[in-house]
Amino acid sequence: MTARSVKWWSRVHKWTSLICTLFLLMLCVTGLPLIFHDEIDDLFKSEAAARELPADTPQAPLSRLIEVAEARYPQRYIQVLGWDDDRANVVNVFLSETPESPPGKRFLKLSFDSRTAELIGEDAQQSGLMRIIRIFHRDMLLGLPGELFLGVMGLLFVASLVSGVVLYAPFMRRLAFGAVRRTGVPRVKWLDLHNLIGAVTLVWLLAVGLTGVINTISLPLFSAWRAQVMPELIAPHLGKPPLAQLADIDDIVTTARRALDGNTPTSIVLPTQARFGTPRHFIVWTKGSTPITSRLFTPAMLDAETGQLVTARGLPWYLRALQVSRPLHFGDYGGLPLKIIWALLDIAAIVVLASGVYLWLGKRKSSRAVTQVRAQPAVAATSGIGS
Amino acid sequence: MNRLRQTTGDIFRWPLWLGVLTVVGLASALFGNDGWDALSWIALAIPLAVLGWKASGHS
Repeated sequence: MTARSVKWWSRVHKWTSLICTLFLLMLCVTGLPLIFHDEIDDLFKSEAAARELPADTPQAPLSRLIEVAEARYPQRYIQVLGWDDDRANVVNVFLSETPESPPGKRFLKLSFDSRTAELIGEDAQQSGLMRIIRIFHRDMLLGLPGELFLGVMGLLFVASLVSGVVLYAPFMRRLAFGAVRRTGVPRVKWLDLHNLIGAVTLVWLLAVGLTGVINTISLPLFSAWRAQVMPELIAPHLGKPPLAQLADIDDIVTTARRALDGNTPTSIVLPTQARFGTPRHFIVWTKGSTPITSRLFTPAMLDAETGQLVTARGLPWYLRALQVSRPLHFGDYGGLPLKIIWALLDIAAIVVLASGVYLWLGKRKSSRAVTQVRAQPAVAATSGIGS
Repeated sequence: MNRLRQTTGDIFRWPLWLGVLTVVGLASALFGNDGWDALSWIALAIPLAVLGWKASGHS
């Protein structure tokens, strides 16, 4: 590589890193507790489990859960009904205060024993430190603009990784892999560590960085899909009177199961004015049973009045890609050992970012000192990022 | 001070293999549970071990 191209790539590495580092540090630090959010949630919040009953106890009709929820909160709107991920035989019913239930507004969650239709828990899902950390990690409490901004920072981070790889070669020409020179000034040691940790964690950094970027555009992607399918779904109902009656929710589930054989229903969106559903359909979300297909959710749309299947097409490729990218960002798909590995790699990322800043600060100081004494060769020996 | 002069292939040999291990580790836990998870832990632990070893001053 010519000296000129080294200089150009150095400049790319310096500026892409400088702009995104502060935000990436924030993401790494807030991401660390989020890796263990399941464990932390369990520690602080003990949710009531369903009672011990013989294994062959039949499930109660879902309509009974709905009746209980309606009777308890007649002024609220039942939006979603979902099978609990962690608790066996528990179904949660989510209610909103307004029919539109704008994004960000929390639902009231009623938990039921799915066999006895007994209410076992109520959760307003209000605050909680982990929730704040999660929102900060996602959008810095700024909503969609914050989310998209972090996406741009993520792209800059990817650019800084790529330029880092390009610069790795000229810097390592005379050094064996992983050599950390400890005899000279601390700056040299930290340059070597920056290169070593960056080289070892590169693929993970790229994977988590890119999947993070994909996640920042999840809302626009879902909106795009919605805009694409909604007109077709709603067209037959235009100009018709409001819903006279709702189809039976248990019939809805039976039909959806039949349509998507092999998949398990995870939640049902009731007919709603909210953006995540439609006013004229039930949406039954289902998932597959293998580790990869259990991340791929397929919706079945059913007519709200007749309960007939309208469509059960899979999601478009970009939403599938989004769904598969999620575990790769969260590290929650291989048990606790994988989470620990994720945490260690996250800490390694913090060291790479912090050492990068340290090298840049040191470089500025040393180049100022150098210009004072006009001794150019000293720079070459310790140069990290070209100025 | 040192005579070492590596080709680009030499320079990227280690990072490349560790990167391949990372890809295997990231992918395998997606494919299945149990054995696939264990493969993922091992494949991802090796680069971390190499990192720890090198960073602690072994050459």
